[in-house]
Amino acid sequence: MKIRTILAVSTAVAGLTLANAALAAEYTIGITQNNVGVDSYQTTYDKAFKEAAEANPDVEAVVLDAGGDVARQIAQIEDLIQQEVDAIIIWPTNGEAVIPAVRKAKKAGIPVIVTNSNIAEAGFDFVKSFSGPDNITQGARSAEIMCDKFKDMGIETSAKVVQISGQPGYTTAIERQKGFDDRLPEVCPDVEVLETQPGDWNREKSQKVMEAFLVKYDKIDGVYAGDDNMGVGALNAAKAAGRDGIIFVGATNFAVGYEAMEKGEYWGSIYQSPVDDAKAALKTAVDVLEGKDVPFLNYFDTPKITQDNMSDYTKPVF
Amino acid sequence: MAGWTRSDIGGFLAKQGILIAFFLFIIGFTIANERFLAPENIMGVVRSSAILGVMALGVTFVVISGNLDLSVGSMMSFSTIVVLDLHDKLGPALAIPAMFALTLCLGALIGFLVGYLKLNSLIVTLGMLSAIHGLTLTYSGGKNMDIADKGGTWFSIFGQGEIFGIPVPILIFVGLAALLGIVLARTPFGRKVYAVGGNGVAATFSGIRRARIVFACYLLSSFCVATAGLIQASRSLGSQNTVGQGLELEVLAAVILGGASLLGGSGTIFKTIIGVLILGFIQNGLLLVGLQFYAQYVVTWIIIILAVWLDIAAKRGRLWSPLA
Repeated sequence: MKIRTILAVSTAVAGLTLANAALAAEYTIGITQNNVGVDSYQTTYDKAFKEAAEANPDVEAVVLDAGGDVARQIAQIEDLIQQEVDAIIIWPTNGEAVIPAVRKAKKAGIPVIVTNSNIAEAGFDFVKSFSGPDNITQGARSAEIMCDKFKDMGIETSAKVVQISGQPGYTTAIERQKGFDDRLPEVCPDVEVLETQPGDWNREKSQKVMEAFLVKYDKIDGVYAGDDNMGVGALNAAKAAGRDGIIFVGATNFAVGYEAMEKGEYWGSIYQSPVDDAKAALKTAVDVLEGKDVPFLNYFDTPKITQDNMSDYTKPVF
Repeated sequence: MAGWTRSDIGGFLAKQGILIAFFLFIIGFTIANERFLAPENIMGVVRSSAILGVMALGVTFVVISGNLDLSVGSMMSFSTIVVLDLHDKLGPALAIPAMFALTLCLGALIGFLVGYLKLNSLIVTLGMLSAIHGLTLTYSGGKNMDIADKGGTWFSIFGQGEIFGIPVPILIFVGLAALLGIVLARTPFGRKVYAVGGNGVAATFSGIRRARIVFACYLLSSFCVATAGLIQASRSLGSQNTVGQGLELEVLAAVILGGASLLGGSGTIFKTIIGVLILGFIQNGLLLVGLQFYAQYVVTWIIIILAVWLDIAAKRGRLWSPLA
């Protein structure tokens, strides 16, 4: 009996504090993240989100982590609906499985913002906005980096490029390839893409693919990779084969790529900051709550980084 | 050798069906792209097959003893990540033995569960597949592991070095294959492995300690995995947590392709090597042909089925089973 009373009292107190907090801040925003701690990107995102929420006096944040578990994420969304938060930000653990929970939130009148990776199209009706990087732009900007470098070298009329794409079937892989394939002929119409093969986001696999490319083609001037991990795998293959002078460009800058750029072996990439990602998500949620007009696809900027301007950027944490 | 009769040659061909299949593929790929047989391409394929090959050597023992090992892929990620991390903390001279010790502990655990507790090897190693992956992620915090000073370490010799113009990974692979080939074919231990896999009950009644043999096979397998992890780490001097993901099935495919029976009791190191090379050359050949990559998955499967079929057909002397 006694224990039950204590529990009841403490719950009531906790409830009051929560209510007080909600009263103090204008908006209560709940976030359920994918898997904090599994990689440095997500860990940095988590930290940056908390700091951004702290810095905004209008916002009270309820920060949750699904630990990569879909069931837990669905339960967390339901909890947030119960707590009657003003908006829910979700980093989907699975683009399909979270849709019913997202629909529930919409039914309860709570706007949902998806961050970093979008949910499946079937769920778009229940989502207010997506905040994250634009993979197509990332691919297109990589094409521009590559083309500009070829122009500097004066080989833009004759250069040959091979492409190592991400895992087949991944939206990210498809979009980064599309962005590059569409943009390159616009800026450098005479550069030829010899062949595209997948590196499956895997450095070792990309090294194998590049080894085969080097045997097959005597002239390769540029390599475009879906991220720096794969790009560095290709770089390793070229170094082992003694083929110098190849321009390597990736679609997302990783620490390994940044280091290879410092050494002058890797030309450039696209800078995607987890801090910007987190800030953009919070800002999108606040804008929605303030009634501003927010586009459905609300991309944050991912700038070009090359050996020339890399001193403006800190080394990526991932 | 001059006195070979027709039946001798027939008998030889029947035993080496997989070898015939192997040469057929090589001829096919060479017609498709003449660079397939360029020395640097062959060297490249053998070098990158060495990692898979070293792992397959150990798994051959496990399969012959009548068990499976699905944990080698995750275990290879584990060794790679651990040795890269310890390289910067302890220096390469200590990091390598420490990594071997840790990996052998994992092998010993599996060997204990399968050998002494007699748990089903499929369940144990399937579980270890994800358990070791989790262990690796916990160890690294999910981060990619990279050696800080990539230029100034002798550690790169195992993956990138050359002795007399031959890449070190190939030398390690060939050396280990020769050693383990002799152990399997010429020592009492090797014969016991066949006996345990062929008929475990009979082996027990002939005084073979079955649990001990199974335990030793898993220990040997984890030793091979650690060696593969060392080559992998040294080759790229940095790695993702998922570097070995999916390799367990490729390894198993190579071993089975070499003609080892999943039920245990048969298989040789030489045939496993042929299986490894077939897989390596298919992958490389399809890339050189430039087939669209979605189709490559299908074609790989077709080639493997063709190889297995040719092997079986050669053994029974006709293309289809007379009993069917």
